[in-house]
Amino acid sequence: MASVDIRSLSVRFPDGTAGLADVDLQVADGELVALVGPSGSGKTTLLRTIAGFLAPTSGTVAIAGEHVAGDGANVPPERRRLGMVFQSHAVWPHWDVGRNVAYPLRLARVPRLERAARVAEALELVGLPGAERRDPATLSGGQRQRVALARALVARPRVLLLDEALSALDEPLRDRLRLELRGLVRSLGLTVVHVTHDRAEALAIADRVVVLDGGRIQQVATPETLLHAPTSPFVARFLSDATVLAGTRTTAGFVADGGGIRIADAAIERRVDGAAALAVLPGDVAIVADDHGDATVTSALFARDGSDVVLDWHGVEVRCTAPWRPVVGERVAVSVRRALAFAADAVAEPTEAAA
Amino acid sequence: MPSSSDVIDAGPAARRARVAAPGALRVGRVRDLLRGTVPVRVVAWVAVAALVGVPLVAVLSLAIASGQIGILASEDVAVAAWHSAVSSVLGAAGAVVLGGALAIVLERTDVPGRAALRLLACSPLLMPPFVGAIAWIGVAGPMSPVNRWWTETFGGPLWSIYGGDGVVFLLVVHGYPVAMLIVGAALRRLPADLEQAARIAGASTLRAFAAVVVPLLRPALLSSATLLAVSNLADFGIPSIVGLPERFTTLSTLVYRYLQSATVDDPLGAVATIGSVLLAVALAGLVADALIGRRRVELDAGASAPARTPLGAWRLPIAAGSWIVVAALTVLPIVALATQSLVPAAGVPLTWETVTLDNLVRAVTSEHALAGMRTSIMLAVLAAVVCTVLGLVVGALVTRTRSRDNRALHAAAIVPQAIPGLVIAVAWLVIAPRIGLFDTPWIILVAYVTAFLGLVVQAVHAPLSATSTTAEEAARVAGASPLRALVDVSWRMATPAAIAGGVLVLLTAARELTLSALLLSPGAQTLGVAIFNLQQAGDYNAASALSLVVALVGLAGLGLAARTPQERS
Repeated sequence: MASVDIRSLSVRFPDGTAGLADVDLQVADGELVALVGPSGSGKTTLLRTIAGFLAPTSGTVAIAGEHVAGDGANVPPERRRLGMVFQSHAVWPHWDVGRNVAYPLRLARVPRLERAARVAEALELVGLPGAERRDPATLSGGQRQRVALARALVARPRVLLLDEALSALDEPLRDRLRLELRGLVRSLGLTVVHVTHDRAEALAIADRVVVLDGGRIQQVATPETLLHAPTSPFVARFLSDATVLAGTRTTAGFVADGGGIRIADAAIERRVDGAAALAVLPGDVAIVADDHGDATVTSALFARDGSDVVLDWHGVEVRCTAPWRPVVGERVAVSVRRALAFAADAVAEPTEAAA
Repeated sequence: MPSSSDVIDAGPAARRARVAAPGALRVGRVRDLLRGTVPVRVVAWVAVAALVGVPLVAVLSLAIASGQIGILASEDVAVAAWHSAVSSVLGAAGAVVLGGALAIVLERTDVPGRAALRLLACSPLLMPPFVGAIAWIGVAGPMSPVNRWWTETFGGPLWSIYGGDGVVFLLVVHGYPVAMLIVGAALRRLPADLEQAARIAGASTLRAFAAVVVPLLRPALLSSATLLAVSNLADFGIPSIVGLPERFTTLSTLVYRYLQSATVDDPLGAVATIGSVLLAVALAGLVADALIGRRRVELDAGASAPARTPLGAWRLPIAAGSWIVVAALTVLPIVALATQSLVPAAGVPLTWETVTLDNLVRAVTSEHALAGMRTSIMLAVLAAVVCTVLGLVVGALVTRTRSRDNRALHAAAIVPQAIPGLVIAVAWLVIAPRIGLFDTPWIILVAYVTAFLGLVVQAVHAPLSATSTTAEEAARVAGASPLRALVDVSWRMATPAAIAGGVLVLLTAARELTLSALLLSPGAQTLGVAIFNLQQAGDYNAASALSLVVALVGLAGLGLAARTPQERS
C-alpha cells in the first residue's frame, strides 16, 4: 500500500473542455478517500487520471513516491500496480471466476501453485470461498462485484481505485457491501480512492471526503468537518441541502434581499460585513406551528428521524427538519439557530467560474 | 378462446366469459375473437405458409418423387459441388479476415479519416455481385490495360480474374463489408471497462486485446463466416461471369445450364434434387449459427465508450495501407466500368479520340434495356409494397404481442434469407405450372416476396423488440381492444422501420439477377438479365454502360435509404 500525491493537476479534453483544473490532493498510506460531486464535476476524470487512462495536461501524479504521470513521465495503467473495481463490475464473461481473479497474477508471472493459493485467499476475503470454477453468468450482481473486488485485490495493489463500485447494486445489498468494504479496507490497511455520486455513502465510509465541482476541489475534510463547517455555500448546499440566502450583514444582524427575512447576529458564525451569503443547514432551522407565522409548509416527507420539510419563507425555499409531520399549507414560525456567513462572491456557481 | 395463443387477449376475454350469462357466452366469445389479434395472426400464418412453407415442401417432395438421387453422384454435380464448397468457404474466410481487420482499425484505432473510410469500405454492399464481376473484368480481365501491358512486356498476363481464384476474389470483395459491419457492431457492444480491467491487472494494450477482446469477438466472427458461406453458395452472377469462361462450374451455374439446355432428361427433378441438398446445407448453417448464438456470453451495457488506441508511429503506415486496400477494392471497379462504357469496343484504349457516349446512350435507350428496366421496376415496386405490408403485420405481431407461436412465425418469415436464391427459384419453377403462373412475370414477383420478406421483418424486428410492450398495455388500459392496440400503437410504431425495409426490398429486387435468370419467361426480362445477356453475347461495353448506370443509381438510392432511418430514430 502506498500514498498518492497529486500536484496542480489539470486535464483538458481534446474538445477544449476542462476536466480538471489545478487539483492538489494527497492521499496518505492506508487512507480511504472518497471523491464526490455533481455529474460532470471531474471526480471520474480524477480517478481515471490516477489509473492512467487519461494523461494530465499539466501537473503530476505520484504513487508511493514514484512519478507516474506529468513532468515527462507517462507510466501506462498496466505498470502502475493498481487495483480497480468498475461500476459494471467488468468481470470477463469468457473466463470462470478463478481465471478472472488469477489474471493479474498470471501477468505478474506468479508461479502456478502460489497463484492458486492467492486466488483462494482473495475469494475467501470477499466472501466467495471455493467459487473458482463458477461461470460469471451464474453469479448475482453482488457476487460479480465481489469477484471484481477479489481480482482487484489479489495482486496486492499499491492503491485500490473504486469507480462507483457499489452504485449498480440494490439498496440493502449495497449497504452490506459498504460495511464489508470498510472492514476489509481497515484490516488490510488499503489505500483507497473511491468515486461515488452517493453523498451518504461517501460520508459513511471515507476517512476524508473530497468535494469536486467544475473540475476544481471545493473542500477536502473529514465527514464531520464537511457537515458542520463547510467552507463554501456550494459544499453546504451539495452535502447538506443547506438554504443559501443572499443579503446584507449589518451590526444588527443579517437582512436577506427583499427584506422579509432577518437573522440575529448571535446566530451567525464567521465575520463577514456588507454583502454576504448565509448558508443555513436544515438541522439548524426550528419551526413551530403558528397560525400567525411568516412561513408556509410546501412539502413534508416522512423520514426516519422526523420529517424533511420544505418551507416558503418570504419567497425563499428553505429546507428544515421537524419532529412531527406538518400538513402542506400549514403556517409555521421559523427560528434559525445557526447560520454560516460567506462573502457574497462565494455564492457564484463554481461550475460557471471554471468552465 | 384466444387465451391459449394470445396472452394480451386473455385477460378481458376470460373475465367476461366467466361473468356473462350462459346464453350470451357464445356471442361474447365471437365478438372477443374479432376484437382480438387472432384473425390477424391467422392471416399472417397463411401468407407465410404459402410464400415460404409451400415452395420448400414442393422442392423437397419433387426431389424425392423424381428419384434422381443418383445425379448427385454424377461427375458434373460432384465437380460443381466441390467448386461451390471451396469457393464459398474460402470466400467467406477471406471476407471475415479482411472485414474483421478493417472493423478493428475503424472502431479501435485513431487512423485519420475513419468516417470516410467506413463509408467507402461499405460501398461494395451497394453493388450487385454481377455488376461487380463485370466491373472487375475491366480491371483484371485478360484484355484489361494492366494485363495487356504485362503481356506485351513479359509475355503473359499478370493475373486473370477468370477462373476459380477470380470467383473467390470477388466473393471476398462482396462479402467483406458484411463481416466488417457485424464485427464492428460486436466491437461497439463490448464494454470498454472489460479491457480497462485487464490493463489495470497488468496487461499491455495488445495483450488486453488478445486476452479479452478477441475471445469475446469469436461469436461475431463465426456468425459472419457462416452467413457469408451460405450466401456465397447461392451466388449466380459471379461464378457465371468469371467462373464459366475457365470452366469453373458451381452448383448455381450448373442448375442454370440444366434449366436452359436439355442436358439431362428431367431437368426440374434434377435441379430440385440439387436444390434440396443446398437447402439442407443452408439449414445446417442456420442451426450452427443458432448454436453459436446460444453460447454467446451475456454482456452488460457498456458504462463507457471503448477508447481508441493511439497507433503512434504506426498510425500513418496503417492508415495508408487501409486506404490503399479499400480504395483499390471500391474505386478501381467503378473507374473500370466507366472506362469500358466510354470506349467503342473492348481493348480500345481510352483517349480523346476514342471516347464515346454511344454505349451509355444505347444502354439507356435500347428497347432491350428499356423493357428490362420497366419489368424490373414494376416487379420491384410490387414486391416492395407486398413485403412492406406483410412484413409490418408479421413484424409487429411477433414483437408487440405475447404468444407462443411468435418465435415460429418470425423464424418462418426470415428463413428464406438464409436459403440460396437458387433454391427459391427452383421451388417456384416447380409450383408455377400448377397455379397458372408458368411463363409469366408474376412467378418472379412471388419469388421476390418469398426471398425478401425477411428484409422487412428484420427491419421491423430489430427496433421494436428492444422496447417493452408497455405502450400497448397503456392503450389497453385506455380502453383499446387488442386489435385496436395492435393497429393504433404497434403498427404505427413499426411503420417507419417497415418502410425503410421496403425501400431496401425495392433496391435489392430492382438489381437482382439469380432469381430472374432462372425464372426467365418470354416478355419478363429483368434489368439484371438484360445486362447478363449483353455480357454473355460479348457486348462488354454495352453491358458495362448499363452496369455503370445500375451501380450509380444503386449507390445513390441505397445511400439515401441507409441514411433515412438513422435520422428518423
